[in-house]
Amino acid sequence: MKKLFKEVHEVWLATQFTGFMSQTQSRQDLYEFANIFFKHLTWLENDFIKNKIPYDYSIDQVPIRVTHLSHMINNIVQRLESIQTLLPNCDDPHITERMQSDIAYIKSTLLKMPEEDVSYAFDTRRIYRNVPLTDEARDALTLFLFEESYKEYELIMVYNFSKAHSDDAFLNRIFQILVDESFFHLRSFGQMMAEMGILGVPRSLMEEIYKFNDLEQFLKDGIQEEIGAKEECKRLAQAVSSSSEYFASFFTFINNQENYHIALMEEALNHLQTKDRLK
Amino acid sequence: MNADAQLIEHMMNPKNYGELKENDATGMGKNPQNGEKVAIYLKVKEGEDPIIEDIRFQAIGCTTTIVAGSIITSEAKGISFSRAQELVSVTLGMLDNLPPEDAACSEMVALALKAALDTYYERQKDPDFPMISYRINNDCTPKEEQQS
Repeated sequence: MKKLFKEVHEVWLATQFTGFMSQTQSRQDLYEFANIFFKHLTWLENDFIKNKIPYDYSIDQVPIRVTHLSHMINNIVQRLESIQTLLPNCDDPHITERMQSDIAYIKSTLLKMPEEDVSYAFDTRRIYRNVPLTDEARDALTLFLFEESYKEYELIMVYNFSKAHSDDAFLNRIFQILVDESFFHLRSFGQMMAEMGILGVPRSLMEEIYKFNDLEQFLKDGIQEEIGAKEECKRLAQAVSSSSEYFASFFTFINNQENYHIALMEEALNHLQTKDRLK
Repeated sequence: MNADAQLIEHMMNPKNYGELKENDATGMGKNPQNGEKVAIYLKVKEGEDPIIEDIRFQAIGCTTTIVAGSIITSEAKGISFSRAQELVSVTLGMLDNLPPEDAACSEMVALALKAALDTYYERQKDPDFPMISYRINNDCTPKEEQQS
């Protein structure tokens, strides 16, 4: 069951990042399939929790550097075939039946996707189409994309883990919004990484990042991190503004979105503190 | 840190990243300032001067730490403990030439490697010896922020 969980986690990332490489309608389809695999991950996770089985989010590195989309499609199909052989390890027939049905459909659709040359996503040229960048802006953007793509993946998993272990509807609404927001950011940054030719799957998370005991402290630290991220966006917007109005406005937009994340975390923190006071 | 081609390669595909579950020793380097840490796992071939057969690292840290971990573990893989100790010394000796934020990251990885080597030696005497953890001395605040 743990192997199944790990492989579903890996196929989710493989599919999501293949979506970043594609420049056709396949991108949207791959995003939808990635969403479905993430949903599978949460089903299996809930089954672990229901049966009190300890689990973690450790994964192997997911290699994605290919020249053609079909290479990744074949890789995803192979991963799905391995998952199908592991499905009997999950005791809940409702989960396995639903997964089996989804996988059968997705496999057949994947194999019909048109071929694309995707080598541009790994050429490390760090050129953005129609957007001139100074060397300083290019370096700042490169580091930002690596830092933040990992951070968004981390946040997706942290909030997902917190949601899976909480029966507080108020908090879970906030966790779900934060997961969705991080998905949006991960997709924005992933597409930019592909465009820059520096696409890579984030590294595996250390367990202590998401298995923490003090949610209140986590939220306090998270608010500080978001404030830091806002500053980073502001710095980056300034660094790239001279060479690109497009990037400057994009990072100002991301910077303003962080205000919403901070408000959500503050709301969660207030809720927790109020609950503590009422105890 | 300037993002040249070699460094970008380490960012895109960090070498030796992940946990080595069947390890002979682990070590930790920590930055007490901001809670960042690096864990190094060693698989060792016994001998008078043991050999690092396999090495992995994990980090809670920034991209610079990941790049440093990728480079240092690549250098350490397959070498003897005495050469690994030289690698630690050379790395620690170079820190003065780096910007503070890069120095702190490299120091954290080098100290994690040193901690893993030291843990291995201690475990030869006492198999239950706990993992050694070292704290860095460098401040990772960029110079311009230290001055302001």
